[in-house]
Amino acid sequence: MEVFLSSAIQFGAIFLFGCVGEILTEKAGHLNLGIPGIMCMGAAGGCLGVRLTTMGESPNGVLVVLCGILFAMIFAGALGAVYAFLTVSLRTNQNVTGLVCTIFGAGFTSFFLNDVVCIADVTVASKLSFASLNFFKAQIPGIEALGWFGTIFLGHGPLIYLAIIIAVIVAVVLKRTKVGLNLRAIGENPATADAVGINVTGYKYTAVIIGAAIAGIGGLCYSLGYTSGNDSTVEVTIQIIGWLSIALVIFTMWRPAVAIGGSFVFGALYILYSYIGVASEFKSLLRLIPFGVTILVLIVTSIIGHRETQPPASLGLSYFREER
Amino acid sequence: MERVKQPLIHITKRDPMPLWKGLCIRFGAVLIALVISAIFISASAPRQRGFFAFFGSLFSGAFGTERRFWLLLQNTALLLCVALALVVAFKMKFWNLGGNGQVLIGCLACAMCMYYLGGEWSDPLVCLLMFVASVAAGAVWAVIPAVFKAFFNTNESLFTLMMNYIAMYLVAYFIAVWYPNGTGAMPPLGDANLPTFGSGQAGRTLPIVLAAVIVTAFVFCYLRFSKHGFEVSLVGESRNTARYAGINVKKVIIRTLALSGATCGLVGFLLVGSVNHMVSTSMDGNMGFTGIMVAWMGKFDPLIMAGVALFINFLTRGMAQVNTDFGYTNSALSDIVVGLIYFFFIGCEFFIVYKVHFNFRKTTARSAPEFSTDDRPQGAGEQHIHEEESSPPVREQIAAAVTQDVLQDGPIGPDGSAPSEMAQQAVSTRKRKGKKEEN
Repeated sequence: MEVFLSSAIQFGAIFLFGCVGEILTEKAGHLNLGIPGIMCMGAAGGCLGVRLTTMGESPNGVLVVLCGILFAMIFAGALGAVYAFLTVSLRTNQNVTGLVCTIFGAGFTSFFLNDVVCIADVTVASKLSFASLNFFKAQIPGIEALGWFGTIFLGHGPLIYLAIIIAVIVAVVLKRTKVGLNLRAIGENPATADAVGINVTGYKYTAVIIGAAIAGIGGLCYSLGYTSGNDSTVEVTIQIIGWLSIALVIFTMWRPAVAIGGSFVFGALYILYSYIGVASEFKSLLRLIPFGVTILVLIVTSIIGHRETQPPASLGLSYFREER
Repeated sequence: MERVKQPLIHITKRDPMPLWKGLCIRFGAVLIALVISAIFISASAPRQRGFFAFFGSLFSGAFGTERRFWLLLQNTALLLCVALALVVAFKMKFWNLGGNGQVLIGCLACAMCMYYLGGEWSDPLVCLLMFVASVAAGAVWAVIPAVFKAFFNTNESLFTLMMNYIAMYLVAYFIAVWYPNGTGAMPPLGDANLPTFGSGQAGRTLPIVLAAVIVTAFVFCYLRFSKHGFEVSLVGESRNTARYAGINVKKVIIRTLALSGATCGLVGFLLVGSVNHMVSTSMDGNMGFTGIMVAWMGKFDPLIMAGVALFINFLTRGMAQVNTDFGYTNSALSDIVVGLIYFFFIGCEFFIVYKVHFNFRKTTARSAPEFSTDDRPQGAGEQHIHEEESSPPVREQIAAAVTQDVLQDGPIGPDGSAPSEMAQQAVSTRKRKGKKEEN
């Protein structure tokens, strides 16, 4: 049970990154269906960063983790910037652009990891799994003494805590600061926000790119924080995680603080299949659980239809100032 | 004298562009994307070939042998069918992202008929049953989200996406039950294969192409000439107008999605019955997503979409050859190139719809209204949806914009109060800027 809860939190953190990134993007009025691809890009960038910093004999753990995060954010942010340029400046359809981002990001990641970072190569694979085990899954020493409390709450790698910290920061920024207020105003009605003098384009670009960068850490968190970095079809799983993260945004009613709990629930649902002892062919039926629950959540939230659970009013619409 | 900053880039809407000009821009965009890919691939390939060898390989992969040509045609036909299925839903502004799942569940239904009934009943009867089962399964897979969309306005894009994965794991489950050896693979079944026209790849391809032609003609007529097609586009334009015109919106949504799913199910039937004779979890080949791009790039017009589907399959199959010729081992390279072309293609639409003006003189004197005359091209048929012709002082412009906004959206009613409340808060916390930024 403790192991299950601990794994649920670890897997939930991946959802949390994707979900918080998407919330930030959607608050600016942009429905980014490219999150799966962007999370893949994060995995690609993170693995590159880790490979570069683990070249030497005894790599510095802090440096490796920071460099992995930095590269993940740069790669994911780059694809986010492409999405932002297309949807904000060129005013393309957001759904279509997002899907292209997903197709491109998944393809790029598969190619990049296998042919450029060469994760199948023996030395690279051993370096990556070494970094994954010792740095990305590093625990605070001596937590075994605390029993179940330590296993569930303290026995995680640095990325899991980073996810929670980022979620809290985004929640505070959106709810309590002027910047967050401006951003929410843009998401609700960009024309009014523009009239007030808020730099709509600037805010949209910033929100989309930062959101993408946060989601990108999620990809790294899966490839090195959950698996050990040498899965050659990592983009398939990350795409599934990405779609579920977008659904999670609806579940959490666009609130990063709620997302912390919600993502752990989804994490538990996602890994549930490997903790229930049934015949192997029923495993694939158990893997349906998170998708079924997501559908239920979508239906229930739409039936309730409360004002609080509605998306930002101009979500998915391009803003052209001179249109009337 | 106080000086006001003018935006460097100023964007206006264009008049509708002549067809040839739009086509030129699109071809240009695709060409740029191809050249960029060619440069990168020929520069970084493990096996050094020239820049032009890229295009050679592209063509030889798509058209090199007779078999390749027929395979290209077959994939085009299948992709076109999926895209047409999706177009019916898109016309209604229903984002059916579940093409993959609808195809896959059609495949599964077809494979079930083959597995359980093949060899026991006569082949024609099983084939008929396969057809019915696939089409029905696809339709059901699309109708489930449609019902919830119609009655509760549930988010359809995520719903259909989740249905994709449910279909995928159902396929995995049945393969594991049928062939419990743990590999998750299924051998081709010998019984109840669809008839072919003669031998070879051509014989297998022709029935599929025939099906695609029929589907294309049907969807074209359905959307263009039938009453149903009119209702679909009316619901897409405005649900309230449709309701006012006496259309049962819920019925239209469900009926349209049943059609959309049924067409995807048909593709599943062709894939299993005619092409593969077995089912796998990746049998959809991501056609649901590619189909969306085909529909979008083809402007929802069945005839243009046929061309786009051919072009995308030309690229995919050509890139497979490029992979081998340039010594790459990873087939994902083709996704990158195709993705790049999508980016350029959807990006170039901007230059067809909008016109960009550059104001290189960054500041103008406030008192001298010389903004409009010389540095903006005065195209004859150009439509300036624009209120700055005489350059009123900026503060007044903002005020005017605010008033217009209120007029535009109507008085702020109780239900529309959320955005304006927030905006008013934003006004009070923020000083007005004395400059106007543009893009």
